[in-house]
Amino acid sequence: MSKNNVVRVRGLKKWFPVRRGILAVFLKGEQEYIKAVDGVDFDVNAGETLCLVGESGCGKTTTARTILRLIEPTEGSILYHGEEITTLGKEQLRKIRTKAQIIFQDPFEVLDPRMSVRSLVGEPLEVNNLASNEKELEERVLEALKEVKLTPAEDFARRYTHELSGGQLQRVAIARSLILRPDFIVADEPVSMLDASIRTEIINLMTELQHLHGLTYLYITHDIAQARYIGNRIMVMYLGKIVEGGPIDDVIQEPLHPYTKALISNVPVPDPTVKRKRILLPGETPTPIDLPKGCRFSPRCNEASEECKRQEPELREVKKDHWVACYKV
Amino acid sequence: MKVLEVENLSTHYQLGRDTVYAVDNVSFNIHAGETFGLAGESGCGKTTVAKSVMRILPDNGLIATGKIRLDGQEIVGLSEKEARKFRWRKVSMVFQYAMSAFNPVLRVGDQIAEVLREKEGCTKNEAHERVKKLFEEVGLEPSRITDYPHEFSGGMRQRAIIAQALACDPKLMIADEPVTALDVVIQGKILDLLRKLKEKYKLAVLLITHDLSVIAEESDRVGIMYAGSLMEVGDVVSVFKDSLHPYTSKLIGAFPNVAGKKTKLEFIPGTPPDLISPPSGCKFHERCPFAKPICKEKRPKQRQFDKEHLVECHFAGELDLRR
Repeated sequence: MSKNNVVRVRGLKKWFPVRRGILAVFLKGEQEYIKAVDGVDFDVNAGETLCLVGESGCGKTTTARTILRLIEPTEGSILYHGEEITTLGKEQLRKIRTKAQIIFQDPFEVLDPRMSVRSLVGEPLEVNNLASNEKELEERVLEALKEVKLTPAEDFARRYTHELSGGQLQRVAIARSLILRPDFIVADEPVSMLDASIRTEIINLMTELQHLHGLTYLYITHDIAQARYIGNRIMVMYLGKIVEGGPIDDVIQEPLHPYTKALISNVPVPDPTVKRKRILLPGETPTPIDLPKGCRFSPRCNEASEECKRQEPELREVKKDHWVACYKV
Repeated sequence: MKVLEVENLSTHYQLGRDTVYAVDNVSFNIHAGETFGLAGESGCGKTTVAKSVMRILPDNGLIATGKIRLDGQEIVGLSEKEARKFRWRKVSMVFQYAMSAFNPVLRVGDQIAEVLREKEGCTKNEAHERVKKLFEEVGLEPSRITDYPHEFSGGMRQRAIIAQALACDPKLMIADEPVTALDVVIQGKILDLLRKLKEKYKLAVLLITHDLSVIAEESDRVGIMYAGSLMEVGDVVSVFKDSLHPYTSKLIGAFPNVAGKKTKLEFIPGTPPDLISPPSGCKFHERCPFAKPICKEKRPKQRQFDKEHLVECHFAGELDLRR
């Protein structure tokens, strides 16, 4: 182990079977699969923020949920602090989950409107029997609310979700995952539902909490510009595979994979004096059922040659810590 | 030539006994061949402006005061019957939700043909021929006019909606969050298409979005809305590079930039106000770092700075808004 990693993922696959009618089962022999995640390897190092970016349907959320076993993986290994978690039973998994938490995109959906903020934030402690008495529970809830800057905490604890704004709700969701004192948090588009003026506050809060508690983040987003401001490293996913990964500034300033290049060139820039040329990709992302032969990006790639169509390129280290799955680099 | 002139527009919604002051004294205009970007956070009244111009406010919505001239014609006060005559012919709209804009049980081509038959009195065959041409114009296979909406991807549906908005050769096209639900690669293609069509047909485009990056790349002039008021209007470079309103400056600074230098992202403490009882004076004063007593007492008048750069702030030009 070269670096101190919190999570190590190897050969992770998640294939969802395509549901078929009874007739199709007889007429066509083979079961088809949606290959949402189709063999990914990566490490999340202690104390870093690793961003996972890609377009909708590329498998980033499935990857995130699979490594917490909210979705069961089809194949592959997931090590959490060196411990294989794909084979753990329910009780052991529960222990891991107090240390590895997730923050979802939409706090409106996650938080039960019939519960007060106090019960929402205290629930993880109660479920896991981690508070010895009412008093301790109350103290920990208030402490968590203060940490996410919902003050006066006593006042916020009494409120219900409809009395809070979107930004405040997301803070409640963060407090809820922090109260178990985790060391690893998967954040799945945590600010996409919020207005721009509020996003920065949440991003700053997450960074602050990271330093305070030595947290490690796997940060999922479709917004590469945003990733640039929160991540240390970035991985770009396309159709269930990681096509490029490396230190955030390297990848964003000098993308090497043709897909990453196109993706970044299409991100609009909030500066009218900067004129950039959009790289247009032909067609649209195919479904992950019938994957193209060879490199899965080759049908849309303007640099593709025969070689690309024959065999799928593996990730290789092109520069220090900068990995690309492309023959042409 | 001015295609759209909005003058002191105020639009309110009645909610039980309460009145929501959704749009409050907003003025701007759009010329032919120009894209006017209207930006602001959710709930600031952008879409209400669009609905006022289209005259498609819900039953509890009312244009309280102001004038809207579309291609020279005053449209506030027109009856619904008269409004039907200009709607879609002079002004059309690309809606936000590409997924739900079409009826799922009718063929896409038929739905667009319906507009042509209703508005232009085309026969069925004529209408279908024109829909095929429109499909070609927006980059769709003409043979796909017989497809159902579910057979189209998100990007294709957005193209079909644009085809529909073009159908009656309007002067003004309102695009309300046209790319918000799309991935960046497709977003880029749709924005390119809108720009191409604007140039070809000398369309006036009202581009509404919360995404200032899209506004920066696609607009000629911009308006920044906050809590129902238009805080700043001007050409895109002046507004972005020499912002005069603190809100504009902070909001632009809150957007991450994938290119260039990485500077600290800004944020605005607090949340936008409730428009049932909007703050007194300048609506931004509660969240403004530069606010002084006068900002709470008096609503600032719109003042003109160089060229067509207009701003509603007591201290415009005196503040250090460098980012």
